[in-house]
Amino acid sequence: MVKKLVLSLGALSLLFPAMAFADDPSAATLNMGLNSIWVLVAAILVILMQGGFILLESGSTRMKNAGHIAGKTVFTLGLCTLIYWAVGYAFAFGADNTGTGISNIIGSGDFFFSPDKAAGDGVGLPPAIFFTFQLAFAAVSLSIAWGGFAERAKLSAYLVFTVLFTAVIYPVISHWIWSADGWLFTKGAQDYAGSTVVHLTGAIAAFAATVLLKPRIGRFNKDGSANEILGHNQVFGALSVLILWVGWFGFNAGSALGVGDGFFGYVAFNTQLGAAGGAVAALLISWLVNGKADITTTLNGALAGLVAITATCAFVEPWAAVVIGLLAGVLVFFSAKFFEKIKVDDPIFALSVHGAAGVWGTIANGIFATDALAKKLNVGEGGLIDTGNWHQLWVQVESVVVCGGYVLVASFILLGIMKVVMGLRVTEEQEIVGLDLSEHGTFGYPEQMKKAQQNM
Amino acid sequence: MSDPVHAKLLARIAASGDVAALRGLRDQIHEHMEALLSARPIEQFYTDLNEVHDALIRRAVTLSEEQMARMGLGSPPVPYAYLLFGSGGREEQTLTSDQDSGLIYADPADASQLDAVSGYFEAFARMVVEMLQQLRYPPCDGEVVSANPAWCQSLSQWMAKLDLWFEDPDWERVRYLLIVADCRIVAGLPSIWMALKEHFFAHMHQNERIVHNMLNNTMRHKVLVGVFGQLFKENYGEDAGSLDLKYGAYIPMVNAVRLLAIQAGVRATSTLNRIEQLTQKGVFSEQEGQDYDGVFKLFLRLRLLTTSKKESGIYTNNGKLSNTRLTKELIEELKTGLRTVKRLQKQVRRRATGRF
Repeated sequence: MVKKLVLSLGALSLLFPAMAFADDPSAATLNMGLNSIWVLVAAILVILMQGGFILLESGSTRMKNAGHIAGKTVFTLGLCTLIYWAVGYAFAFGADNTGTGISNIIGSGDFFFSPDKAAGDGVGLPPAIFFTFQLAFAAVSLSIAWGGFAERAKLSAYLVFTVLFTAVIYPVISHWIWSADGWLFTKGAQDYAGSTVVHLTGAIAAFAATVLLKPRIGRFNKDGSANEILGHNQVFGALSVLILWVGWFGFNAGSALGVGDGFFGYVAFNTQLGAAGGAVAALLISWLVNGKADITTTLNGALAGLVAITATCAFVEPWAAVVIGLLAGVLVFFSAKFFEKIKVDDPIFALSVHGAAGVWGTIANGIFATDALAKKLNVGEGGLIDTGNWHQLWVQVESVVVCGGYVLVASFILLGIMKVVMGLRVTEEQEIVGLDLSEHGTFGYPEQMKKAQQNM
Repeated sequence: MSDPVHAKLLARIAASGDVAALRGLRDQIHEHMEALLSARPIEQFYTDLNEVHDALIRRAVTLSEEQMARMGLGSPPVPYAYLLFGSGGREEQTLTSDQDSGLIYADPADASQLDAVSGYFEAFARMVVEMLQQLRYPPCDGEVVSANPAWCQSLSQWMAKLDLWFEDPDWERVRYLLIVADCRIVAGLPSIWMALKEHFFAHMHQNERIVHNMLNNTMRHKVLVGVFGQLFKENYGEDAGSLDLKYGAYIPMVNAVRLLAIQAGVRATSTLNRIEQLTQKGVFSEQEGQDYDGVFKLFLRLRLLTTSKKESGIYTNNGKLSNTRLTKELIEELKTGLRTVKRLQKQVRRRATGRF
């Protein structure tokens, strides 16, 4: 056995002499390399989540809009990338203005980002990888916002809002909470992977859009009762949740931004627990309350568990991750009912899944965060249960209110201007015939839709 | 009959000579009955109303016989019985019930006549159904109408069919058996119908395993009350906020009582009579009997409040109780009633599976 090993190693060193003679890399370089591998893989996982959004959004809507809804995500991912590269990243993480008063509010520097080709000495992660990871988050937040546009917004509205959201909405929140200069970061606001930064931001933009666009034709009756507009493919929906779920390991565990002492594994572990709690609680609550176990609610529950555990995954004990997930699953069910009751048409349930659960996840840190983990991460302090102190809960509430408020106001203003200047919504005729045809001239499901048209 | 107007209407139906006159009478009766609704006990209301429906159907049958004769097709070659299934069979028709009917005729003395005899009755049944349609009784969606040849057969054919259904009971056949369990004669010769009925109960007696098959069908419709005592209402559409009284309360109770009744050999078809006889037989305790009787009367009363419309002259009803009808007291009453039905269903399940 040993003989064999020695022989083969000898043979290998003949083939690849460098192996034997090259300088050993320093521990710091190895460390940086490991971090790079993990965070780039995580960034790729988060970009893959767009596949989840494509399936989620198109599966939850009707056939006549499927090609448009799926395809536009690819376009907006591209456009979002260019805008984030040009200005978004600069506003979020630019450090040229550090030390000035304005740096608390918004960053500046690294416009049209051109990163160093390799990591410098003592840098834990190459900046290009950090950028890619952050860009992937911006794109996720944007795709969440599309939930509020679905099935009735013009393609041009998607184009313009991608630019505005990526340039002046998302980077501001991201700067406040995640940049070392940000004012909420300085206060110790805990949002590990973005329950607020990514999910609540996207959801509130979706809310503004869905309010300004008004409900889809046929969603509500004159007497105020609601009609159910079922999505065309529940299997897409379930598959999308699984893709998002897997992608979320990049989202949360990647936010460790390195390998370090293996803490990212603990983050992944809590993520799984939160998602599980959400899925289970949502199916059970819909079964108990409606008498029928609802698949859509179950899917939403898994996502809500993931959204809620996003802020908390690094700050809480496993039991708390389970509780947070379970409560998110219950919350998303009642939240969806609530939005329907106030006649807000939310085709993809973005407001409930990303908004309500995003708020819950952020606030949950103020309740469940342990002081030990807060100290380990050096962000804020323990929550109410661990410390008996209300301070962190207050900080969390403040960050939700302020961030939510900013996004709400900014989105309403920007979308409001767009509505006046260019119009947001397609015509009634276009909506009825479907956006595949009206915006792109072909159907996502040509055979089926042509048949349906002939019958009309 | 205590109500003189009612008695007079029945007499006029029996004397009425054509469809147009009958239709006019039906409209008149509806107005009269609606006015009476709050004035009398609910079971009395249903008894009166079903007498009227019976009289109308009976008259349509007689008029069809005459019409057949006028068309040169002769009079009925053998005795027959015109049967009602569904709510008609149970004497629980509302103002908006549809036609669930069948026809059974005596076996001709000579088998070679069968074709001619069946030809006569098929034409006859079509005529009756057509006439009742003109009286604004829509035919049943499931095609359980006498005009359907499968439901218009000779006694021996019917018996052979029951034998097959009992021996090889798939889902659909069990459904038919449960439909037959509610059948009642409305016109014709009672002894033919009695023969069928006894054949059915003889099978029930010999073939106890059939109860297992019937149980699933009986429990098919869920009682619309949740574990928190909440009512399951319609969430979406025009009827959002309504309670599906027909399939969420009334039918589950009808089904549960029916299965117990046919298991216990109770011949009655009306649910209230079945409850009474089951109590006499000791299947229900006195208290249970009273509870079930009260709850079923509540459902009967509420059934009359469900949303109905007169669409192009046809009386239809979606069986749903609109939100605006659901007062606080009524909701409480309904919740108690529905929980009672759940208890009843448990009792049925225990009895059918033999677990005590």
